[in-house]
Amino acid sequence: MGLKGYILKRTMYSVVLVFCVLTVNFIIFNLMPGDPIAQYILSPESRLTPEDVETLRKIYGIDLPYHERYFVYLRNMLTFNLGKTQVTRVPVVEEISKRLGNTVLLMTTAIVTSITLGTLIGTFAAYKRATKTDTAIVTSSLILGSLPVFWIGILMLFIFAVYLKWFPFGGSVPKWWAYTPPTSPLEIIAGRLYCVTLPALTLVIFSVDNWTLLTRACVLQTITEDYVVTARAKGLPERRVLLKHVLKPASLPLVTAMALSFAGIFTGAMITETVFSYEGMGHWIYMAIMEKNLPVMYAVFYISGLLVVIANFIVDLVYGMIDPRIKVGR
Amino acid sequence: MPTLLDVKNLKTYYTTLRGYVKAVDGVSFAIEKGEAMGLVGESGCGKTTVILSILKILPPEGRILDGNVFFKGVDLVKLSEKEMRDKIRWKGISLVFQGAMNALNPVYKVGDQIAEAIRTHEPNVSKKEALERGRKLFELVGLDPDRINSYPHEFSGGMKQRAVIAMALACNPDLLIADEPATALDVIIQAQVLQLIKQLRKTLHLSMILITHDLSIVAESCDKLAVMYAGKIVEYGDLATIFKEPLHPYTQALIKAFPDVRAERSPLVSIPGSPPDLLFPPSGCRFNPRCPYSMDICSKKEPVPIEVKSKMHQVACHLIGKR
Repeated sequence: MGLKGYILKRTMYSVVLVFCVLTVNFIIFNLMPGDPIAQYILSPESRLTPEDVETLRKIYGIDLPYHERYFVYLRNMLTFNLGKTQVTRVPVVEEISKRLGNTVLLMTTAIVTSITLGTLIGTFAAYKRATKTDTAIVTSSLILGSLPVFWIGILMLFIFAVYLKWFPFGGSVPKWWAYTPPTSPLEIIAGRLYCVTLPALTLVIFSVDNWTLLTRACVLQTITEDYVVTARAKGLPERRVLLKHVLKPASLPLVTAMALSFAGIFTGAMITETVFSYEGMGHWIYMAIMEKNLPVMYAVFYISGLLVVIANFIVDLVYGMIDPRIKVGR
Repeated sequence: MPTLLDVKNLKTYYTTLRGYVKAVDGVSFAIEKGEAMGLVGESGCGKTTVILSILKILPPEGRILDGNVFFKGVDLVKLSEKEMRDKIRWKGISLVFQGAMNALNPVYKVGDQIAEAIRTHEPNVSKKEALERGRKLFELVGLDPDRINSYPHEFSGGMKQRAVIAMALACNPDLLIADEPATALDVIIQAQVLQLIKQLRKTLHLSMILITHDLSIVAESCDKLAVMYAGKIVEYGDLATIFKEPLHPYTQALIKAFPDVRAERSPLVSIPGSPPDLLFPPSGCRFNPRCPYSMDICSKKEPVPIEVKSKMHQVACHLIGKR
């Protein structure tokens, strides 16, 4: 089986996974207590008659039996016909297009920084194994790793926004853009970075310990391999030995962890965005859960599930690129 | 012309939480150009540490405390890391490390790994030229040159071993160190690989250190023998002389532990006990707790190597000192 077959197989897996995500979402939201229509009845200004409620149920399709609702739901999700938000009546797709970019910017910045830093620090710790440097790195990673993300966020706000006044308190774009919109692309990038730095830093602190410790463990396992001794005996400089002959074979578990951690960082992003009132998917879903905004919840859970599946798919492909043994096997 | 490699009183210890592991404790030997020496001993007696010390690629907890390693008259112990990299490693001394299975990095093509060795030492060779040289080396060791772009997992054990030998020859070294070159291979492949090493040695006039725990391999391919026990060389000298008349009880026991195909079948004699803990080696002669001829003095005083008869045979044993 060549690369083509491998990709085909992984694609099939991904499709099956998306179906599982959709199904589980459907079950969870239908198990949630409370009728979706109840909100309209409960609001103080509502003057709904039972007939009105029946009409509403028809509009939303809640009168259909579960299996029919499931297929309608599947069709709508797969065609990205996501409906309108429950309170503000804005198309969900429109809201998502506004926020998804912000979340992707935040997560990409955080993940790339965190992985780069963690890999380098972890490799360095493994190289300095059993020394004070190593102990210091491991200890501080463990401490960082046990901090709750909302607390890191508040701490960052306190230090960099309140005390040093380097970065804004929140928002995804600078406040002054409302009066003087940015003109040059450079200005846009600078303004974006200005706002994304603190939330991203929070996420980096929250996730970097993972990479450091995992890299250290993987590198320690590889660094005593015979081919590493051979690479050193070949007269390669130490940095080249570490980065080329140790890190690449050691990176396989890291790549797996990357895919798995994507979901975890997404959760972290959700909390971080809330702390920083950063207009992204995470903040939005937090609000949606608070107001029990079903269309939004369906959409966000679906899209975040989709993102995780896509990340896994990409990682599976990268796996095949890093380790030549994977392409031919199976 | 100076001796090619002259190791004098080499001491390498590993620092552990429980103290120093005296892995190599005063080892001396010399190799002339074109000569092959077998370094024999049980697992964990410090054989590999000797070669890691010579190349100065010890793990961070290992340190050379004392001694000299003269290579073509230059003391390697005093050389800087950069000088070791540029002049000695692979160009002067190359290494076939512990069998075939793991000496090639699984995620790079074999040819690229050979080219890497060449281009590290000859930076103005293009990648294409380096690969071309790799193909020639493949031919030299009896591999199909068209397999140069394969990954290590696409090779059999014997082929991997041949590829590793090809890589070791890439920069025309003066000295080839082969650490357990035939372990983890079946007997027939083992014989082929040893045959190859022998033949290469002849055509390329290579000097060699062959590290093994298998005396029969040494008997077939070396001129000299050094028997190591618990971080020390207990017997050292001309191969034929030692085989004819082993003087140290450990060497005698080692030879007895191997079957002789021509002799009548007799039960093999194993050496009682197990190798000592190098954190706390026995006092006096380190072999004394397992030695059938142990005397009072053996646990009190450390025997010094004594030259017997000819210059080419040294033994560190009180039994011999008495004579």
